Amino acid sequence: MAKCKSCVVLPFLVGLVASIVLGWWGFPKVLYSQKTQPIRFDHVVHVEDQAMACEDCHAYREDGSFAGYPTNANCVGCHEDVQGEDPDEARYVAEYVQQEKEVEWLIYQKQPDNVYFSHIAHKDFDCTSCHPDVANMSTPPVYYENRLSGYSKDTMKMWQCERCHAENGASNACFVCHK
Amino acid sequence: MGIDRRSFISLVAGGVVGSTFTPVIWKTLDDVSIWTQNWPWIPTLQYGEEQKVPALCKLGSDAYGIKIKTIAGRPVAAEGNPDHPLSLGGICPLGAASVHLMYSPSRVKNPKLKDGSSFKDISWDEAEEMLAEKIKAAGSSVAMISGDETGSVTDVLAGLVGKAGSDKSFLMPSESAPAAAALAMLGGDGQVGYDIENANYVLMLGADALGSWGNVARNGKAFSASREKGVKYIYVGPAQNGTTAVADSWIPCAAGTEPVLAMGLAAVIAESGRDRSFWPGFAAFAKFVKAAYPLDKVAEITGVSAETIKGLAGELVRAGRPLVLTAAEAGQGLGAFELAAGMSLNMLLERVNTVGGVRILPWAPSVVEAAADKKTLLASDVVAYLSAVADGGAEAPAVLMVHGANPAYALPNLTKAQAAIDKAGFVVSFSSFMDETAAMADLIMPDSYAFERLDDAYSPYGSGQPNYTVAAPVIKPVFDTKPAGDVILAVAAKADLDLGFESFEDVVKAKAEALGADFDEMVEGAAWVSEEFPAQDLALWTTPLEELSVAAADGKTLALAPVLRLKIGSAKIAIPPFNTNAIRFDEMLGNDMYVLMNAATAKNLGLNKDDAIKLAGAGGECKARLRIFEGVMNDTVVAPLGFGRTAWDEFSRGKGDNVYKLLAADIEAQTGLSRFATARVTVSKA
Repeated sequence: MAKCKSCVVLPFLVGLVASIVLGWWGFPKVLYSQKTQPIRFDHVVHVEDQAMACEDCHAYREDGSFAGYPTNANCVGCHEDVQGEDPDEARYVAEYVQQEKEVEWLIYQKQPDNVYFSHIAHKDFDCTSCHPDVANMSTPPVYYENRLSGYSKDTMKMWQCERCHAENGASNACFVCHK
Repeated sequence: MGIDRRSFISLVAGGVVGSTFTPVIWKTLDDVSIWTQNWPWIPTLQYGEEQKVPALCKLGSDAYGIKIKTIAGRPVAAEGNPDHPLSLGGICPLGAASVHLMYSPSRVKNPKLKDGSSFKDISWDEAEEMLAEKIKAAGSSVAMISGDETGSVTDVLAGLVGKAGSDKSFLMPSESAPAAAALAMLGGDGQVGYDIENANYVLMLGADALGSWGNVARNGKAFSASREKGVKYIYVGPAQNGTTAVADSWIPCAAGTEPVLAMGLAAVIAESGRDRSFWPGFAAFAKFVKAAYPLDKVAEITGVSAETIKGLAGELVRAGRPLVLTAAEAGQGLGAFELAAGMSLNMLLERVNTVGGVRILPWAPSVVEAAADKKTLLASDVVAYLSAVADGGAEAPAVLMVHGANPAYALPNLTKAQAAIDKAGFVVSFSSFMDETAAMADLIMPDSYAFERLDDAYSPYGSGQPNYTVAAPVIKPVFDTKPAGDVILAVAAKADLDLGFESFEDVVKAKAEALGADFDEMVEGAAWVSEEFPAQDLALWTTPLEELSVAAADGKTLALAPVLRLKIGSAKIAIPPFNTNAIRFDEMLGNDMYVLMNAATAKNLGLNKDDAIKLAGAGGECKARLRIFEGVMNDTVVAPLGFGRTAWDEFSRGKGDNVYKLLAADIEAQTGLSRFATARVTVSKA
């Protein structure tokens, strides 16, 4: 009987542990593909060396909407021609500016179309409350794309929005985000 | 220790239990549910800066400024342009659908050459070379038809035809032509417009001014402003429509006899009050209308009582600044004599070339050498020409070029028009869409859509003041299309016909300069407006007076009242996909369109609601279903234009029937212009 007991418990424990390890370690590796930005944008060069402010590129428009990532129209002010020795800058000028093609930046926190998120309504929060602190990065973080849903791993989930709203006394009515 | 069945089951059970403590199940379920929101056929929004860019809408007979809302430079919606004098913030149903038409499935996406019963794709170089060779070979046997009365592309195309030695340049029918001819009968010279904003009494004799006629957006704004000022809008016509729904009153009048009513009103007014004997032409005019249009005769022809006619005449005289707008219900088909009847009534009321009255605008400047000017174009009748070609009375052109027009669908004498197109040696369509004419063409050189090209418009018919609008492209062409103006210039150069311009932009700049307008300002959205009206030496009818011909009621046929509802389309555009939901259940049943008559008329014919019926006119036959509507006069059937498409796309093809088939034109002897506004049809069960 003792032999039979170990035949049951031990495999169970092995299955349990293996499943937990695979679930927490292996599953994310399978679920998310890793992508890098089309151009390695160096925030440090722009923020520290050129003393640019976040708003120089990530600005609010006149109607209060948020411009998000800059377009070539922003960048060509300086990068119509190659300025430095960074190979990614040269590639940007050759492949995008000169070809009049916009860079398809990967957006870490992109929300679905059925969610209306207003940046200007959240302007009192630090950008890094929700976004990675890219201002101090020379290489943008890796972008993890969920192979099933197609969204970024960093896309904020609804419960996160609701929790923050609740904590800050903001309404959690449906129409606040779902117009 | 070996793994037996029991151990294996334990292992699996441990794995399953363990998985519940991991995100595998829960995260997968969540992501699968999100995955279902992102199937590839589900459209996604494109985000970016929102802008409002000035543009031109020429989809109806009007040409007016609108604004295109763009997101990240991509057009997404259209709205009125408050700064444009012909929009004043208003927009017509076709303008509202204009952005979506850019992506219509009926867009011609690249040049195409007829290959048997279908088309094959060819390059722009091949298409331009081919057309240039055809033009060279044709010599002076070239002709063109344009549906764009206001734009300089028509000048360029007419220039090409003129340079080739041909005078066969035509515009599609509209009321500009008979209005200009009518003005000439009164000794005037210029484009006819109406200062509707400053009138204090507006009598609409057939003119569906608030639904489809003239500068429809501007008319709507003038009407809206008139409500506070106590200005009366009276509609006279055979049936209720969008205009009667809001006008102060509707006076039922037999279809196509509104000009007769104008003459009757003129007879009453000429008899009354002040001494006009010293006016040029008054004596002969007064004598004529008194003899030809006594009250009882006018009442009998029009169905408007003598008392009502006298009452209307009194209101017109007392109003101070009355304005009479004379038109066919569908905005085309009246002859010059009919429009002159309305014009002479305005003359009698001293409402010509004055504030709040009929305005005479200068003709557009001619900038393209050898191009027929607008006045000449308006005097050349396309219906007469195509009918003559079909009948063998005129030589079929070796090359026929069609721009912004659809003569294979939107003309009276339709079978003859189609036969004439068929007889032409080589037919070229510059249409952006696969319309009925493009489908018949040998070569399609698709024009870039309205928002993909530079375009201009000088004073569309009805404008109360001279105006000129230039619209820059809103977006680069989304398909392999080219602006027709540039293509025609390139072809002309290849055919060794020098039109004096290298690009269409240069043509527009030349026209702007000739007008004294600033091209750069206009491209930014500012319309050029002038207050200069050429002096006129008018007389009450200089042409020999004659009675208006009216098809008499015969007890067997019904008066046909074709109507234009812009949501259904126009002579240029089929039902826009965006507008299909606006076509009501009482306008279509399945794929059948409804025509309207009142219960008494239906009873006389032994017809009931929803019956499938056949309308037969001098031009051909139409199928429809019957809807009973008491807002229609006795012995009248109201039929919508715009249905019955045989080309285009699934949103319009095969829906309803083409009422143009019923229309037969006769040619006015004095002007050579076609008349087709009054038709009689027999109606029977299908």
